[in-house]
Amino acid sequence: MAKRTFGFKLAFGFGLTVALTLIMGAASVAALVVVVNSKDDAIRVAVDDLTNAERLTAKAESRISDYRAFILNASQEYLDLTNADREEFLDLVSQLRGTISDPTARNLLETVSTAEATHAATLQPVIERRKTIENLQNISQLNSNGQVGVARRALQNAIGALTTRLRADVEDARKDSSARATQSIGLIIILGLAAMACGGFIAWRLSRDLRREVGAAVGHIQSSSAELEAAAAQQASGGREQASAMSEITTTISELLITSRQIAESAQQVSKIAEDTADAAERGDATIDQTRASISAIRSQVDQIVQHMLALGEKSQQIGGVVDLVSELAEQTNILAINATIEASGAGEWGRRFAVVAEEIRKLADRTAGSAKEIRTLIDDVRGAVNTTVMATEIGAKSVDAGSRQFDDATSSFRKIAQLVATTNDATREIELSTKQQSTAVEQVNVAASDTARVTRETEASAVQTKQTAAHLSRLSGDLLELVGSGRR
Amino acid sequence: MSPSDVTDRLTGLRSDFDRSFAEPARQHDVEFAELLAIRAGGHAYALRLSQAFGVHSDRPVTPLPGPQAALLGVAGFSGAIVPVYDLAALLGHPVPEDPRWLVLAAGSPPLALAFHDLDGHVRVPTSTIVDEIDGHVGREVLRGMVLLPGGTRPIVDLPSARAVVHQLTGHITYNTEER
Repeated sequence: MAKRTFGFKLAFGFGLTVALTLIMGAASVAALVVVVNSKDDAIRVAVDDLTNAERLTAKAESRISDYRAFILNASQEYLDLTNADREEFLDLVSQLRGTISDPTARNLLETVSTAEATHAATLQPVIERRKTIENLQNISQLNSNGQVGVARRALQNAIGALTTRLRADVEDARKDSSARATQSIGLIIILGLAAMACGGFIAWRLSRDLRREVGAAVGHIQSSSAELEAAAAQQASGGREQASAMSEITTTISELLITSRQIAESAQQVSKIAEDTADAAERGDATIDQTRASISAIRSQVDQIVQHMLALGEKSQQIGGVVDLVSELAEQTNILAINATIEASGAGEWGRRFAVVAEEIRKLADRTAGSAKEIRTLIDDVRGAVNTTVMATEIGAKSVDAGSRQFDDATSSFRKIAQLVATTNDATREIELSTKQQSTAVEQVNVAASDTARVTRETEASAVQTKQTAAHLSRLSGDLLELVGSGRR
Repeated sequence: MSPSDVTDRLTGLRSDFDRSFAEPARQHDVEFAELLAIRAGGHAYALRLSQAFGVHSDRPVTPLPGPQAALLGVAGFSGAIVPVYDLAALLGHPVPEDPRWLVLAAGSPPLALAFHDLDGHVRVPTSTIVDEIDGHVGREVLRGMVLLPGGTRPIVDLPSARAVVHQLTGHITYNTEER
């Protein structure tokens, strides 16, 4: 039973109680029936048998009276009454045979029947004799010999014994029915006590299970209500936060809408600029051709510069050769001057004057050599400059070539850029269109966000309502716990 | 060098040249000494022009076999065959490069000393010359020093060089009168 529902237990308990009540009622009815039957038997015995037995006495006395009347006047009428009385008597005997169940009474009834037959047999000769006697003077004429009186007393005694026996049977039946009634009362009391005990047990079990299970369930409901209240509170705070977040989202979406409109305007401007750029690119094509011609001219000019520089280098080399010649001449002049000085030192006064001239010649030769050395240095500088210039010019030529190639690359890149600008123009138009669509979508999102914010506020209100309901439910759970008396709060 | 500098130098040269004719005849006396500034084996020296018989450059020298490392060979001067010695080797610091210049020593026997570079012909007062009578061990060729632009130079004494060459070639005594 522990795993059955409380409703089942309740139904089972009430069903059991009802069944016990029915059993008790049935037992009471059965006991009453038994008591009634026993009383009926007693009454029947008292009413039928004892009454018929008493009527047997009356009939016997009635027949005796009619017989005596016949004896007195020999009237046929009294004889018929006597016979009728006997018939009725025999009928009563027959009835009593059908109703008497006591063997002793039955034997006594047979004794009565025998005594009556004896009495009738004793009486019949007397009756026949009376018919023959017309004037009865004396009773002795009948010649009965006193047998009739014996038979009559025997019959009366037998009937008296039967009546006594039947009276005793009535008393026995009364006692027996009273005993049955007492037994029935005891049985009903026992069944009533059993039903009360069973009902008390069921009530105790139901009360205990009510306290246990309903108390536990109500405790669960109470704790669940507390959790639900906490969850509702959390949901309410979450709803508030969500509402504020939705408000921020709505604000952000509005800003986004403004931004997307600005983007659309910018995309329009970009599209216009891209168209201008495409026009400029077309104009730039002509400029590219002019620039290419200029680069070719620069290349040929650079080549000419290189040629002139190389010629300048050769001329410088020739000048260097001449300067070497001048240096050699200066050196030889110097040697001659030194030797002239040596010669002059041994030639007396004229030699000394000659030595002065020789010294002047030597000085000139020194200066010539110095100038030649300077010229050599200058020529070396010139040649170095020429070489540097040639190298720089060649580097410049290479740079011009590289620049030309790069210009070709730049030209192709420029043309690619022009194509890309056209593509960009298309893409910008698509961006413009997409941004307009995006603006529309953002507006729809804004509406949806507003709806969501409203729903969030409603959800928050609903959560507050839920929280109040949960608190109410918690209080109800406490009250119910007090009602079921689990003692837990 | 700018063209104006060249013009200035040309003007100076011309004035110096003209002035040389205008100046009085200079005395070529003992107060002055004629010196040749030379370089031998990377060292700077000076030698007296009065001890020389002539200066020559790029003269062909015919090598001679012999044990003397300083003897470069012989060269011809005015019909005479003159031995040529390396001055740097005589001074004790020979270098592998062949000397280009030859100075013909005055006196006899004839001797030519070869050196690598000729720095120039200078005329200096004798007061700037620190003279010395004898040489020292290891520098018998050098006698005295002279202060010239660019530094003080030892003076190569050509007669002493001849004596050193004589000593190298086995002549025990040598004539010092020719100094």
